[in-house]
Amino acid sequence: MNPISSPQIASPPPLLNPAMGPAKTGETSFKDMLFDSIKEVNTMQLDADKAVEQMFTGGDVSPAEVLTAVQKADLAFRLTMQMRNKLMEVYQEVRDIRI
Amino acid sequence: MLTSFDISTSALVAQRTRLNAISSNIANMSTTRNERGEAEPYTPRYVTFQTDTNITSSGGGSGVKIGSVDLSTAEPNMKYEPGHPDANANGYVAYPNVDMTTEFVDALEASRSYEANVGVIEVSKNLVENTLRIIA
Amino acid sequence: MLSTLFGTSSVPLLEQVVNFTEARHGVLAGNIANLDTPGYTTRDLSPELFQQKLREAVEASRAPSMSTYGYGNYGNNMSQSADSVSRVDRNFAAFDHVKDSYNSILRHDGVDVSMENQVNQMVKNQQEHNMAVGILSNQFRLLRAAISERAA
Repeated sequence: MNPISSPQIASPPPLLNPAMGPAKTGETSFKDMLFDSIKEVNTMQLDADKAVEQMFTGGDVSPAEVLTAVQKADLAFRLTMQMRNKLMEVYQEVRDIRI
Repeated sequence: MLTSFDISTSALVAQRTRLNAISSNIANMSTTRNERGEAEPYTPRYVTFQTDTNITSSGGGSGVKIGSVDLSTAEPNMKYEPGHPDANANGYVAYPNVDMTTEFVDALEASRSYEANVGVIEVSKNLVENTLRIIA
Repeated sequence: MLSTLFGTSSVPLLEQVVNFTEARHGVLAGNIANLDTPGYTTRDLSPELFQQKLREAVEASRAPSMSTYGYGNYGNNMSQSADSVSRVDRNFAAFDHVKDSYNSILRHDGVDVSMENQVNQMVKNQQEHNMAVGILSNQFRLLRAAISERAA
């Protein structure tokens, strides 16, 4: 009896394997985009916090600038959160594929 | 943005002072004696405004302050009333040179200016409240 | 861990601002109510002193704490990291000292204390209060979105 060869499990999609680089040369993968946007969101949040601090400790920033910075950071965070949610959904779907 | 409140308030204070001077003039229209009881007519007071560079906004607007409260240099009105206790040797009484019409028009102008500045404060408040709606 | 949940944002600073503007509102309202009272001197809470104390608290919170590396101080580990992403966990106990500025009540001598001036101060105070409350509720909404993992 032939030994049952282990079924060929499709290798996990490159997106979920952190060890692999970008899928195609010259194009950034979704993974890279996500990680970059997480870093950017953090920077934007910190900048917004600094602007708020400056406004309330007597600096000469105008309230409109500060509120816009806060709202931009807010929206950037929500967008990144949604990207991360989509990624989780994709992972769940892939995991649920019955072979 | 909040310094526009200061500018409007300086105008309110200045116009109120001007209104005080005008009401003092009108009240003392017929005053022929000074505070010591001597026969000296009341001198009308006039208020001059001056730009106040201590209160400035970022765009370059500045507030207003009272430059000086001056006594009028006009001659008092002489009226012929020989029986009056304050009549001089020739029978003339010196009355303050206050023209009620002019003073009243000035008072109207001051009160309209006061209202206009209150309107400006309303607009400023509106601006800031709308700015807050960026976040909400 | 839960207390540091609010540590990486501007929430402690905004709390102090909201408290201060509320306290100042009460004092200004008292001034306006007593405009015709003979012998009444107007009081005020100094916003300059408050802002200075706030600045000091912000700087104290940013300074890396002095305790030894590792034990007991949750934040110290993070500040040693050379990660480009800033993960400094700040010491927000310094913000409690800002409350000391509430008790210093100025008595105006010769400064313009007319009704217009008091109302002006109150209106400016109100705008600052509303702004701080708006930003504070926005921060809480953001935290809630992160906790519930719902982006909307």
